[in-house]
Amino acid sequence: MASRVQLSGPDAVTTMSPAGCPHVNSFKVDNWKQNLRVIYQCFVWSGSAESRKRKAKSCICHMCGAHLNRLHSCLYCVFFACFAKKHIHEHAKNKRHNLAIDLLYGGIYCFMCQDYIYDKDMEQIAKEEQRKAWKMQGIGEKFSTWEPTKRELELLRYNPKRRRITSNCTIGLRGLINLGNTCFMNCIVQALTHTPLLRDFFLSDRHKCEMQSNSCLVCEMSQLFQEFYSGHRSPHIPFRLLHLVWTHARHLAGYEQQDAHEFLIAALDVLHRHCKDDNGKKANNPNHCNCIIDQIFTGGLQSDVTCQVCHGVSTTIDPFWDISLDLPGSSTPFWPLSPGGDGAALNGESHTSGATTLTDCLRRYNTSSFISVDVSSFALPFSSPDPIPPPPSLSPLVLHTRPFLPSHSHSHSPLTLPSPSNLVARWRHCVRLVIYLCSVFCYCYCCYHSL
Amino acid sequence: MSKDSQMRAAINQKLIEMGERERLKELLRAKLVECGWKDQLKAHCKDVIREKGLEHVTVEDLVTEVTPKGRGNNPYRVTGHQCLIMHRYCKFLQILGQNHKRGG
Repeated sequence: MASRVQLSGPDAVTTMSPAGCPHVNSFKVDNWKQNLRVIYQCFVWSGSAESRKRKAKSCICHMCGAHLNRLHSCLYCVFFACFAKKHIHEHAKNKRHNLAIDLLYGGIYCFMCQDYIYDKDMEQIAKEEQRKAWKMQGIGEKFSTWEPTKRELELLRYNPKRRRITSNCTIGLRGLINLGNTCFMNCIVQALTHTPLLRDFFLSDRHKCEMQSNSCLVCEMSQLFQEFYSGHRSPHIPFRLLHLVWTHARHLAGYEQQDAHEFLIAALDVLHRHCKDDNGKKANNPNHCNCIIDQIFTGGLQSDVTCQVCHGVSTTIDPFWDISLDLPGSSTPFWPLSPGGDGAALNGESHTSGATTLTDCLRRYNTSSFISVDVSSFALPFSSPDPIPPPPSLSPLVLHTRPFLPSHSHSHSPLTLPSPSNLVARWRHCVRLVIYLCSVFCYCYCCYHSL
Repeated sequence: MSKDSQMRAAINQKLIEMGERERLKELLRAKLVECGWKDQLKAHCKDVIREKGLEHVTVEDLVTEVTPKGRGNNPYRVTGHQCLIMHRYCKFLQILGQNHKRGG
Protein backbone atom coordinates (compact mmCIF):
# COMPACT_ATOMS: atom_id res chain seq x y z
CA MET A 1 0.00 0.00 0.00
CA ALA A 2 1.19 3.50 -0.67
CA SER A 3 0.56 4.65 2.91
CA ARG A 4 3.21 4.53 5.58
CA VAL A 5 2.65 2.31 8.59
CA GLN A 6 4.40 3.16 11.83
CA LEU A 7 4.67 0.76 14.71
CA SER A 8 5.52 2.67 17.84
CA GLY A 9 6.26 0.83 21.06
CA PRO A 10 4.26 -1.84 22.81
CA ASP A 11 0.81 -0.50 22.09
CA ALA A 12 1.38 -0.82 18.34
CA VAL A 13 -1.06 1.79 17.16
CA THR A 14 -0.72 2.05 13.40
CA THR A 15 -0.72 5.50 11.96
CA MET A 16 -1.23 6.47 8.38
CA SER A 17 0.31 9.60 7.04
CA PRO A 18 -2.25 12.31 6.34
CA ALA A 19 -1.09 12.77 2.75
CA GLY A 20 -1.81 9.67 0.71
CA CYS A 21 0.96 10.19 -1.78
CA PRO A 22 2.96 13.21 -2.94
CA HIS A 23 1.21 13.26 -6.32
CA VAL A 24 -2.09 14.56 -5.02
CA ASN A 25 -0.62 17.95 -4.28
CA SER A 26 -1.04 19.13 -7.84
CA PHE A 27 -4.73 18.27 -7.55
CA LYS A 28 -5.28 20.02 -4.23
CA VAL A 29 -5.45 23.53 -5.60
CA ASP A 30 -8.19 26.16 -5.87
CA ASN A 31 -11.62 24.80 -5.14
CA TRP A 32 -10.61 21.13 -5.24
CA LYS A 33 -12.77 20.06 -2.33
CA GLN A 34 -15.97 21.25 -3.93
CA ASN A 35 -14.98 19.75 -7.27
CA LEU A 36 -14.33 16.40 -5.65
CA ARG A 37 -17.66 16.53 -3.85
CA VAL A 38 -19.45 17.16 -7.12
CA ILE A 39 -17.74 14.14 -8.68
CA TYR A 40 -18.79 11.93 -5.78
CA GLN A 41 -22.35 13.22 -5.83
CA CYS A 42 -22.85 12.92 -9.55
CA PHE A 43 -20.98 9.83 -10.55
CA VAL A 44 -20.15 7.68 -7.56
CA TRP A 45 -22.84 7.88 -4.90
CA SER A 46 -25.85 9.43 -6.50
CA GLY A 47 -28.55 10.02 -3.95
CA SER A 48 -31.24 11.94 -5.78
CA ALA A 49 -33.28 10.53 -8.65
CA GLU A 50 -31.95 13.20 -10.97
CA SER A 51 -28.31 12.51 -10.31
CA ARG A 52 -29.00 8.79 -10.68
CA LYS A 53 -30.46 9.42 -14.10
CA ARG A 54 -27.46 11.48 -15.07
CA LYS A 55 -25.11 8.83 -13.77
CA ALA A 56 -26.91 6.08 -15.65
CA LYS A 57 -26.67 7.96 -18.92
CA SER A 58 -23.14 9.29 -18.75
CA CYS A 59 -21.16 6.60 -17.00
CA ILE A 60 -19.83 4.70 -19.92
CA CYS A 61 -16.30 4.36 -21.23
CA HIS A 62 -15.39 7.19 -23.58
CA MET A 63 -13.25 4.83 -25.55
CA CYS A 64 -15.25 1.66 -25.91
CA GLY A 65 -18.73 2.48 -24.62
CA ALA A 66 -18.88 -0.31 -22.06
CA HIS A 67 -20.28 0.30 -18.59
CA LEU A 68 -18.64 -2.68 -16.93
CA ASN A 69 -14.89 -3.27 -16.55
CA ARG A 70 -14.36 -1.10 -13.46
CA LEU A 71 -15.13 2.32 -14.81
CA HIS A 72 -12.94 5.15 -13.57
CA SER A 73 -13.21 8.88 -13.97
CA CYS A 74 -10.24 11.15 -14.48
CA LEU A 75 -9.96 13.68 -11.67
CA TYR A 76 -8.56 16.43 -13.88
CA CYS A 77 -11.03 16.36 -16.74
CA VAL A 78 -14.34 14.86 -17.73
CA PHE A 79 -13.23 11.51 -19.02
CA PHE A 80 -14.62 8.09 -18.13
CA ALA A 81 -12.82 4.94 -19.12
CA CYS A 82 -12.46 1.28 -18.26
CA PHE A 83 -9.83 0.22 -15.79
CA ALA A 84 -9.80 -3.43 -16.68
CA LYS A 85 -9.17 -2.70 -20.35
CA LYS A 86 -6.52 -0.11 -19.43
CA HIS A 87 -8.35 2.67 -21.28
CA ILE A 88 -8.02 5.02 -18.34
CA HIS A 89 -4.32 4.23 -18.17
CA GLU A 90 -3.91 5.39 -21.75
CA HIS A 91 -5.67 8.63 -20.96
CA ALA A 92 -3.50 9.19 -17.91
CA LYS A 93 -0.35 8.66 -19.92
CA ASN A 94 -1.39 10.86 -22.83
CA LYS A 95 -2.73 13.75 -20.83
CA ARG A 96 -0.43 13.39 -17.80
CA HIS A 97 -3.54 13.28 -15.61
CA ASN A 98 -2.28 10.98 -12.91
CA LEU A 99 -5.35 10.68 -10.68
CA ALA A 100 -8.56 8.79 -11.31
CA ILE A 101 -11.53 7.78 -9.18
CA ASP A 102 -13.23 4.39 -9.14
CA LEU A 103 -16.90 4.99 -9.95
CA LEU A 104 -17.99 1.85 -8.16
CA TYR A 105 -16.26 2.20 -4.80
CA GLY A 106 -14.95 5.76 -4.76
CA GLY A 107 -11.30 4.85 -4.35
CA ILE A 108 -8.65 7.23 -5.67
CA TYR A 109 -6.03 5.71 -7.96
CA CYS A 110 -2.63 7.29 -8.55
CA PHE A 111 -0.97 6.26 -11.82
CA MET A 112 2.44 7.30 -10.58
CA CYS A 113 2.25 5.17 -7.45
CA GLN A 114 0.36 2.52 -9.43
CA ASP A 115 -1.97 1.83 -6.58
CA TYR A 116 -5.00 3.21 -4.76
CA ILE A 117 -4.05 5.89 -2.28
CA TYR A 118 -5.66 6.95 0.97
CA ASP A 119 -5.51 10.68 1.40
CA LYS A 120 -7.10 11.70 4.69
CA ASP A 121 -8.87 14.80 3.39
CA MET A 122 -10.20 13.01 0.34
CA GLU A 123 -11.35 10.07 2.45
CA GLN A 124 -13.22 12.46 4.70
CA ILE A 125 -15.07 13.95 1.76
CA ALA A 126 -15.82 10.50 0.35
CA LYS A 127 -17.31 9.33 3.63
CA GLU A 128 -19.50 12.40 3.99
CA GLU A 129 -20.83 12.14 0.44
CA GLN A 130 -21.54 8.45 0.87
CA ARG A 131 -23.51 9.10 4.04
CA LYS A 132 -25.47 11.86 2.31
CA ALA A 133 -26.39 9.55 -0.56
CA TRP A 134 -27.47 6.75 1.77
CA LYS A 135 -29.68 9.15 3.64
CA MET A 136 -31.28 10.38 0.44
CA GLN A 137 -31.92 6.87 -0.74
CA GLY A 138 -33.57 6.05 2.56
CA ILE A 139 -30.95 3.47 3.50
CA GLY A 140 -29.98 5.46 6.58
CA GLU A 141 -26.82 4.69 8.50
CA LYS A 142 -24.84 1.68 7.43
CA PHE A 143 -22.06 -0.14 9.18
CA SER A 144 -18.61 1.28 8.61
CA THR A 145 -15.40 0.20 10.25
CA TRP A 146 -14.23 2.13 13.26
CA GLU A 147 -11.53 4.70 12.70
CA PRO A 148 -10.26 6.32 15.89
CA THR A 149 -10.54 10.06 16.25
CA LYS A 150 -7.71 12.15 17.71
CA ARG A 151 -9.28 12.04 21.15
CA GLU A 152 -9.71 8.27 20.95
CA LEU A 153 -6.09 7.83 19.93
CA GLU A 154 -5.07 9.85 22.97
CA LEU A 155 -7.17 7.66 25.23
CA LEU A 156 -5.65 4.56 23.68
CA ARG A 157 -2.17 5.82 24.40
CA TYR A 158 -3.00 6.74 27.99
CA ASN A 159 -4.50 3.30 28.57
CA PRO A 160 -2.04 0.82 27.12
CA LYS A 161 -3.67 -2.32 28.51
CA ARG A 162 -5.32 -4.28 25.67
CA ARG A 163 -7.72 -7.17 25.65
CA ARG A 164 -6.76 -9.05 22.52
CA ILE A 165 -8.60 -11.82 20.78
CA THR A 166 -5.86 -14.41 20.58
CA SER A 167 -6.27 -17.98 19.55
CA ASN A 168 -6.50 -19.19 23.13
CA CYS A 169 -8.52 -16.43 24.75
CA THR A 170 -11.89 -17.21 26.26
CA ILE A 171 -13.89 -14.14 25.31
CA GLY A 172 -17.37 -15.20 24.33
CA LEU A 173 -17.16 -18.36 26.44
CA ARG A 174 -18.55 -18.65 29.89
CA GLY A 175 -19.89 -21.35 32.14
CA LEU A 176 -23.41 -21.29 33.52
CA ILE A 177 -24.48 -22.15 37.04
CA ASN A 178 -27.23 -24.72 37.39
CA LEU A 179 -29.99 -23.08 39.42
CA GLY A 180 -31.79 -26.29 40.20
CA ASN A 181 -32.52 -28.62 37.28
CA THR A 182 -31.94 -25.76 34.87
CA CYS A 183 -29.45 -27.54 32.65
CA PHE A 184 -32.14 -27.69 29.96
CA MET A 185 -32.06 -23.90 29.88
CA ASN A 186 -28.30 -23.66 30.15
CA CYS A 187 -27.63 -25.79 27.10
CA ILE A 188 -30.04 -23.73 25.02
CA VAL A 189 -28.45 -20.51 26.28
CA GLN A 190 -25.04 -21.82 25.24
CA ALA A 191 -26.41 -22.68 21.80
CA LEU A 192 -27.93 -19.22 21.41
CA THR A 193 -24.79 -17.37 22.48
CA HIS A 194 -22.84 -19.36 19.92
CA THR A 195 -25.09 -18.30 17.06
CA PRO A 196 -22.99 -15.75 15.14
CA LEU A 197 -25.93 -13.89 13.61
CA LEU A 198 -27.58 -13.48 16.98
CA ARG A 199 -24.31 -12.43 18.57
CA ASP A 200 -23.72 -9.82 15.88
CA PHE A 201 -27.24 -8.48 16.33
CA PHE A 202 -26.85 -7.96 20.06
CA LEU A 203 -23.25 -6.79 20.12
CA SER A 204 -24.10 -4.10 17.59
CA ASP A 205 -26.91 -2.81 19.79
CA ARG A 206 -29.64 -3.39 17.27
CA HIS A 207 -32.39 -3.88 19.82
CA LYS A 208 -34.31 -0.75 20.70
CA CYS A 209 -36.61 -1.55 23.54
CA GLU A 210 -39.99 0.02 23.85
CA MET A 211 -41.34 -2.08 26.64
CA GLN A 212 -42.15 -0.03 29.69
CA SER A 213 -41.49 -2.59 32.38
CA ASN A 214 -38.25 -4.43 32.95
CA SER A 215 -39.63 -7.63 31.57
CA CYS A 216 -38.25 -7.57 28.04
CA LEU A 217 -36.58 -10.88 27.29
CA VAL A 218 -34.67 -9.41 24.36
CA CYS A 219 -33.04 -6.88 26.67
CA GLU A 220 -32.11 -9.69 29.00
CA MET A 221 -30.65 -11.58 26.05
CA SER A 222 -28.60 -8.52 25.19
CA GLN A 223 -27.37 -8.38 28.76
CA LEU A 224 -26.47 -12.05 28.53
CA PHE A 225 -24.22 -11.43 25.54
CA GLN A 226 -22.55 -8.62 27.43
CA GLU A 227 -21.84 -11.04 30.25
CA PHE A 228 -20.46 -13.65 27.89
CA TYR A 229 -18.16 -11.20 26.16
CA SER A 230 -17.06 -9.36 29.27
CA GLY A 231 -13.96 -11.51 29.61
CA HIS A 232 -14.95 -12.71 33.08
CA ARG A 233 -13.92 -16.26 33.67
CA SER A 234 -16.26 -17.01 36.54
CA PRO A 235 -19.46 -18.83 35.65
CA HIS A 236 -22.50 -16.68 35.01
CA ILE A 237 -25.64 -17.03 37.10
CA PRO A 238 -28.63 -16.53 34.80
CA PHE A 239 -31.23 -15.98 37.51
CA ARG A 240 -32.83 -12.97 35.83
CA LEU A 241 -33.19 -14.85 32.59
CA LEU A 242 -34.76 -17.78 34.38
CA HIS A 243 -37.20 -15.52 36.17
CA LEU A 244 -38.21 -13.79 32.94
CA VAL A 245 -38.75 -17.10 31.21
CA TRP A 246 -40.95 -18.26 34.11
CA THR A 247 -42.95 -15.04 33.85
CA HIS A 248 -43.57 -15.37 30.13
CA ALA A 249 -43.79 -19.12 29.77
CA ARG A 250 -45.71 -20.35 32.77
CA HIS A 251 -45.60 -23.96 31.75
CA LEU A 252 -41.86 -23.99 32.32
CA ALA A 253 -41.97 -22.41 35.75
CA GLY A 254 -40.76 -24.38 38.70
CA TYR A 255 -37.64 -26.34 39.45
CA GLU A 256 -38.54 -29.54 37.68
CA GLN A 257 -36.62 -30.92 34.79
CA GLN A 258 -37.89 -29.68 31.47
CA ASP A 259 -37.39 -30.52 27.84
CA ALA A 260 -34.66 -28.42 26.28
CA HIS A 261 -36.41 -28.31 22.93
CA GLU A 262 -39.61 -27.06 24.55
CA PHE A 263 -37.58 -24.38 26.26
CA LEU A 264 -36.06 -23.33 22.94
CA ILE A 265 -39.47 -23.05 21.31
CA ALA A 266 -40.88 -21.07 24.23
CA ALA A 267 -37.85 -18.78 24.42
CA LEU A 268 -37.85 -18.07 20.69
CA ASP A 269 -41.56 -17.36 20.82
CA VAL A 270 -41.20 -14.83 23.62
CA LEU A 271 -38.15 -13.24 21.98
CA HIS A 272 -40.07 -12.98 18.71
CA ARG A 273 -42.95 -11.27 20.46
CA HIS A 274 -40.71 -8.85 22.30
CA CYS A 275 -38.79 -8.12 19.12
CA LYS A 276 -41.71 -6.53 17.32
CA ASP A 277 -40.51 -3.08 18.18
CA ASP A 278 -37.29 -3.56 16.23
CA ASN A 279 -39.11 -3.56 12.94
CA GLY A 280 -40.19 0.03 13.13
CA LYS A 281 -43.29 0.37 11.07
CA LYS A 282 -43.51 -3.22 9.90
CA ALA A 283 -46.45 -5.01 11.44
CA ASN A 284 -45.88 -8.14 13.45
CA ASN A 285 -47.39 -10.45 10.89
CA PRO A 286 -46.85 -14.10 11.83
CA ASN A 287 -46.57 -15.07 8.20
CA HIS A 288 -43.94 -12.58 7.28
CA CYS A 289 -42.12 -11.29 10.31
CA ASN A 290 -38.80 -9.60 9.86
CA CYS A 291 -37.47 -9.73 13.40
CA ILE A 292 -34.03 -11.16 13.97
CA ILE A 293 -35.48 -14.29 15.54
CA ASP A 294 -37.54 -15.13 12.51
CA GLN A 295 -34.73 -14.19 10.18
CA ILE A 296 -32.43 -16.69 11.84
CA PHE A 297 -34.70 -19.43 13.08
CA THR A 298 -37.27 -19.99 10.35
CA GLY A 299 -36.83 -22.07 7.30
CA GLY A 300 -38.96 -23.27 4.45
CA LEU A 301 -39.68 -26.86 3.62
CA GLN A 302 -40.09 -27.13 -0.12
CA SER A 303 -42.19 -29.97 -1.48
CA ASP A 304 -42.13 -30.64 -5.19
CA VAL A 305 -44.77 -32.91 -6.62
CA THR A 306 -43.93 -33.99 -10.14
CA CYS A 307 -46.49 -35.39 -12.52
CA GLN A 308 -45.06 -38.40 -14.31
CA VAL A 309 -47.09 -37.70 -17.41
CA CYS A 310 -46.64 -34.02 -18.18
CA HIS A 311 -43.62 -33.43 -15.90
CA GLY A 312 -45.29 -30.37 -14.46
CA VAL A 313 -43.96 -29.49 -11.02
CA SER A 314 -46.14 -28.13 -8.27
CA THR A 315 -44.18 -26.53 -5.46
CA THR A 316 -45.30 -25.67 -1.95
CA ILE A 317 -43.13 -24.05 0.64
CA ASP A 318 -44.16 -24.56 4.24
CA PRO A 319 -42.45 -22.50 6.91
CA PHE A 320 -40.98 -24.42 9.78
CA TRP A 321 -39.25 -23.50 12.98
CA ASP A 322 -37.63 -26.82 13.68
CA ILE A 323 -37.34 -30.26 12.18
CA SER A 324 -36.62 -33.52 13.91
CA LEU A 325 -33.80 -35.49 12.40
CA ASP A 326 -33.32 -39.19 12.88
CA LEU A 327 -30.08 -40.41 14.35
CA PRO A 328 -28.32 -43.61 13.31
CA GLY A 329 -29.29 -46.78 15.10
CA SER A 330 -32.86 -46.67 13.80
CA SER A 331 -33.94 -49.87 12.16
CA THR A 332 -34.52 -48.59 8.66
CA PRO A 333 -32.89 -49.93 5.53
CA PHE A 334 -32.15 -46.45 4.23
CA TRP A 335 -29.72 -45.42 6.85
CA PRO A 336 -26.18 -45.13 5.42
CA LEU A 337 -23.96 -47.78 6.90
CA SER A 338 -20.21 -47.70 7.38
CA PRO A 339 -18.10 -47.68 4.20
CA GLY A 340 -19.00 -50.37 1.77
CA GLY A 341 -22.67 -50.35 2.75
CA ASP A 342 -25.44 -49.55 0.31
CA GLY A 343 -26.04 -46.23 1.96
CA ALA A 344 -22.67 -44.85 0.94
CA ALA A 345 -23.79 -44.88 -2.66
CA LEU A 346 -27.10 -43.25 -1.74
CA ASN A 347 -25.37 -40.18 -0.42
CA GLY A 348 -22.87 -40.11 -3.22
CA GLU A 349 -19.90 -39.75 -0.90
CA SER A 350 -17.80 -42.09 1.16
CA HIS A 351 -18.13 -42.18 4.91
CA THR A 352 -15.35 -42.50 7.40
CA SER A 353 -15.82 -45.32 9.89
CA GLY A 354 -19.53 -44.91 10.63
CA ALA A 355 -19.29 -41.25 11.67
CA THR A 356 -22.51 -39.44 10.84
CA THR A 357 -22.62 -35.74 10.03
CA LEU A 358 -25.46 -33.27 10.30
CA THR A 359 -25.52 -33.21 6.52
CA ASP A 360 -26.19 -36.96 6.50
CA CYS A 361 -29.14 -36.46 8.84
CA LEU A 362 -30.54 -33.69 6.67
CA ARG A 363 -30.12 -35.75 3.51
CA ARG A 364 -31.83 -38.63 5.18
CA TYR A 365 -34.67 -36.31 6.15
CA ASN A 366 -35.00 -35.12 2.60
CA THR A 367 -35.02 -38.55 1.04
CA SER A 368 -37.45 -40.19 3.43
CA SER A 369 -40.56 -38.47 2.22
CA PHE A 370 -41.55 -40.90 -0.48
CA ILE A 371 -44.06 -43.51 0.49
CA SER A 372 -44.29 -46.96 -0.83
CA VAL A 373 -46.52 -49.75 0.39
CA ASP A 374 -45.25 -53.30 0.90
CA VAL A 375 -48.37 -55.29 0.34
CA SER A 376 -46.48 -58.54 0.65
CA SER A 377 -45.99 -58.02 4.37
CA PHE A 378 -49.70 -58.13 5.10
CA ALA A 379 -51.29 -61.55 5.46
CA LEU A 380 -54.58 -62.31 3.68
CA PRO A 381 -57.54 -62.81 6.00
CA PHE A 382 -59.26 -64.96 3.39
CA SER A 383 -59.45 -68.73 3.14
CA SER A 384 -56.47 -68.94 0.81
CA PRO A 385 -53.77 -71.05 2.50
CA ASP A 386 -50.82 -69.53 0.74
CA PRO A 387 -50.22 -65.83 0.68
CA ILE A 388 -50.69 -64.39 -2.79
CA PRO A 389 -47.49 -62.69 -3.95
CA PRO A 390 -47.96 -59.14 -5.16
CA PRO A 391 -47.95 -58.67 -8.93
CA PRO A 392 -44.57 -57.52 -10.24
CA SER A 393 -45.95 -54.20 -11.42
CA LEU A 394 -46.93 -53.20 -7.92
CA SER A 395 -43.76 -54.15 -6.09
CA PRO A 396 -41.69 -53.10 -4.27
CA LEU A 397 -44.01 -50.86 -2.33
CA VAL A 398 -42.96 -50.12 1.22
CA LEU A 399 -45.01 -48.08 3.70
CA HIS A 400 -42.69 -46.24 5.94
CA THR A 401 -44.83 -46.11 9.03
CA ARG A 402 -42.10 -45.85 11.63
CA PRO A 403 -42.33 -42.05 11.98
CA PHE A 404 -45.97 -42.37 12.90
CA LEU A 405 -45.54 -44.92 15.64
CA PRO A 406 -46.01 -43.73 19.23
CA SER A 407 -42.42 -44.51 20.23
CA HIS A 408 -41.14 -41.93 17.78
CA SER A 409 -43.27 -38.86 18.37
CA HIS A 410 -42.67 -37.16 21.68
CA SER A 411 -45.40 -34.74 22.64
CA HIS A 412 -47.89 -35.48 19.87
CA SER A 413 -50.59 -38.10 20.00
CA PRO A 414 -49.89 -41.08 17.77
CA LEU A 415 -51.72 -41.38 14.49
CA THR A 416 -53.92 -44.29 13.65
CA LEU A 417 -53.59 -45.63 10.18
CA PRO A 418 -56.06 -47.88 8.43
CA SER A 419 -55.56 -51.43 9.69
CA PRO A 420 -53.69 -53.88 7.47
CA SER A 421 -56.82 -55.95 6.90
CA ASN A 422 -58.57 -53.00 5.33
CA LEU A 423 -55.68 -52.60 2.99
CA VAL A 424 -55.68 -56.22 1.98
CA ALA A 425 -59.46 -56.40 1.61
CA ARG A 426 -59.14 -54.24 -1.45
CA TRP A 427 -56.28 -56.27 -2.82
CA ARG A 428 -58.10 -57.75 -5.81
CA HIS A 429 -59.17 -54.45 -7.21
CA CYS A 430 -55.97 -52.84 -8.40
CA VAL A 431 -57.57 -49.59 -9.45
CA ARG A 432 -59.24 -49.17 -6.11
CA LEU A 433 -55.98 -50.12 -4.43
CA VAL A 434 -54.15 -47.40 -6.30
CA ILE A 435 -56.80 -44.85 -5.36
CA TYR A 436 -56.68 -46.01 -1.77
CA LEU A 437 -52.91 -45.79 -1.74
CA CYS A 438 -53.11 -42.24 -3.03
CA SER A 439 -55.49 -41.30 -0.28
CA VAL A 440 -53.22 -42.96 2.25
CA PHE A 441 -50.39 -40.97 0.78
CA CYS A 442 -52.34 -37.74 1.08
CA TYR A 443 -53.45 -38.62 4.55
CA CYS A 444 -49.93 -39.36 5.67
CA TYR A 445 -48.59 -36.30 3.89
CA CYS A 446 -51.03 -33.96 5.58
CA CYS A 447 -50.66 -35.54 8.95
CA TYR A 448 -46.89 -35.65 8.71
CA HIS A 449 -46.91 -31.95 8.13
CA SER A 450 -49.26 -31.29 10.97
CA LEU A 451 -46.89 -33.03 13.37
CA MET B 1 -22.03 -2.73 -29.80
CA SER B 2 -23.88 -5.98 -30.25
CA LYS B 3 -27.58 -6.17 -29.51
CA ASP B 4 -26.82 -8.19 -26.42
CA SER B 5 -24.51 -5.59 -24.91
CA GLN B 6 -26.93 -2.84 -25.96
CA MET B 7 -29.67 -4.53 -23.96
CA ARG B 8 -27.31 -4.98 -21.04
CA ALA B 9 -26.40 -1.33 -21.07
CA ALA B 10 -30.08 -0.33 -21.24
CA ILE B 11 -30.99 -2.59 -18.30
CA ASN B 12 -28.03 -1.31 -16.34
CA GLN B 13 -29.17 2.24 -16.94
CA LYS B 14 -32.63 1.46 -15.65
CA LEU B 15 -31.19 -0.36 -12.65
CA ILE B 16 -29.17 2.70 -11.67
CA GLU B 17 -31.95 5.16 -12.39
CA MET B 18 -34.47 3.38 -10.23
CA GLY B 19 -31.99 2.82 -7.45
CA GLU B 20 -32.55 -0.91 -7.74
CA ARG B 21 -28.88 -1.56 -8.42
CA GLU B 22 -27.93 -0.21 -4.99
CA ARG B 23 -30.66 -2.25 -3.33
CA LEU B 24 -29.61 -5.46 -5.06
CA LYS B 25 -26.00 -4.79 -4.13
CA GLU B 26 -27.00 -4.29 -0.51
CA LEU B 27 -28.99 -7.51 -0.53
CA LEU B 28 -26.10 -9.44 -1.99
CA ARG B 29 -23.69 -7.86 0.46
CA ALA B 30 -25.87 -8.81 3.43
CA LYS B 31 -26.21 -12.40 2.24
CA LEU B 32 -22.49 -12.76 1.62
CA VAL B 33 -21.73 -11.54 5.12
CA GLU B 34 -24.36 -13.82 6.62
CA CYS B 35 -22.99 -16.96 5.06
CA GLY B 36 -19.43 -16.20 6.06
CA TRP B 37 -18.11 -15.57 2.56
CA LYS B 38 -16.83 -12.13 3.47
CA ASP B 39 -14.89 -13.38 6.48
CA GLN B 40 -13.32 -16.15 4.50
CA LEU B 41 -12.21 -13.80 1.76
CA LYS B 42 -10.93 -11.30 4.30
CA ALA B 43 -8.76 -13.99 5.86
CA HIS B 44 -7.44 -14.86 2.41
CA CYS B 45 -6.61 -11.21 1.76
CA LYS B 46 -4.66 -11.07 5.00
CA ASP B 47 -2.70 -14.13 3.92
CA VAL B 48 -1.83 -12.53 0.60
CA ILE B 49 -0.75 -9.34 2.34
CA ARG B 50 1.43 -11.27 4.75
CA GLU B 51 2.94 -13.15 1.86
CA LYS B 52 3.70 -10.15 -0.29
CA GLY B 53 4.63 -7.80 2.53
CA LEU B 54 2.54 -4.85 3.64
CA GLU B 55 4.83 -2.30 2.04
CA HIS B 56 4.80 -3.84 -1.41
CA VAL B 57 1.35 -5.23 -1.98
CA THR B 58 -1.04 -3.27 -4.20
CA VAL B 59 -4.79 -3.45 -4.59
CA GLU B 60 -4.25 -5.04 -7.99
CA ASP B 61 -2.29 -7.87 -6.40
CA LEU B 62 -5.15 -8.55 -4.04
CA VAL B 63 -7.72 -8.40 -6.79
CA THR B 64 -5.76 -10.85 -8.94
CA GLU B 65 -5.13 -13.27 -6.10
CA VAL B 66 -8.46 -13.18 -4.41
CA THR B 67 -10.96 -12.95 -7.32
CA PRO B 68 -10.69 -16.60 -8.41
CA LYS B 69 -11.29 -17.78 -4.87
CA GLY B 70 -14.17 -15.40 -4.41
CA ARG B 71 -15.88 -16.47 -7.61
CA GLY B 72 -14.84 -20.06 -7.80
CA ASN B 73 -15.69 -23.24 -5.96
CA ASN B 74 -15.52 -22.19 -2.37
CA PRO B 75 -17.54 -23.91 0.36
CA TYR B 76 -19.67 -20.85 0.99
CA ARG B 77 -21.68 -21.13 -2.17
CA VAL B 78 -24.47 -18.64 -2.17
CA THR B 79 -26.80 -20.66 -4.34
CA GLY B 80 -29.88 -20.17 -2.19
CA HIS B 81 -29.26 -16.48 -2.00
CA GLN B 82 -28.57 -16.31 -5.70
CA CYS B 83 -32.12 -17.53 -6.17
CA LEU B 84 -33.42 -14.73 -4.00
CA ILE B 85 -31.41 -12.11 -5.84
CA MET B 86 -32.31 -13.53 -9.24
CA HIS B 87 -35.94 -13.49 -8.18
CA ARG B 88 -35.73 -9.81 -7.33
CA TYR B 89 -33.89 -9.09 -10.53
CA CYS B 90 -36.51 -10.94 -12.58
CA LYS B 91 -39.26 -9.02 -10.81
CA PHE B 92 -37.42 -5.83 -11.70
CA LEU B 93 -37.29 -6.85 -15.36
CA GLN B 94 -40.97 -7.67 -15.21
CA ILE B 95 -41.76 -4.21 -13.94
CA LEU B 96 -39.61 -2.72 -16.66
CA GLY B 97 -41.46 -4.75 -19.26
CA GLN B 98 -44.84 -3.68 -17.94
CA ASN B 99 -43.88 -0.03 -17.92
CA HIS B 100 -42.75 -0.39 -21.48
CA LYS B 101 -46.12 -1.69 -22.60
CA ARG B 102 -48.02 1.20 -21.07
CA GLY B 103 -48.44 4.07 -23.44
CA GLY B 104 -48.67 7.76 -22.73
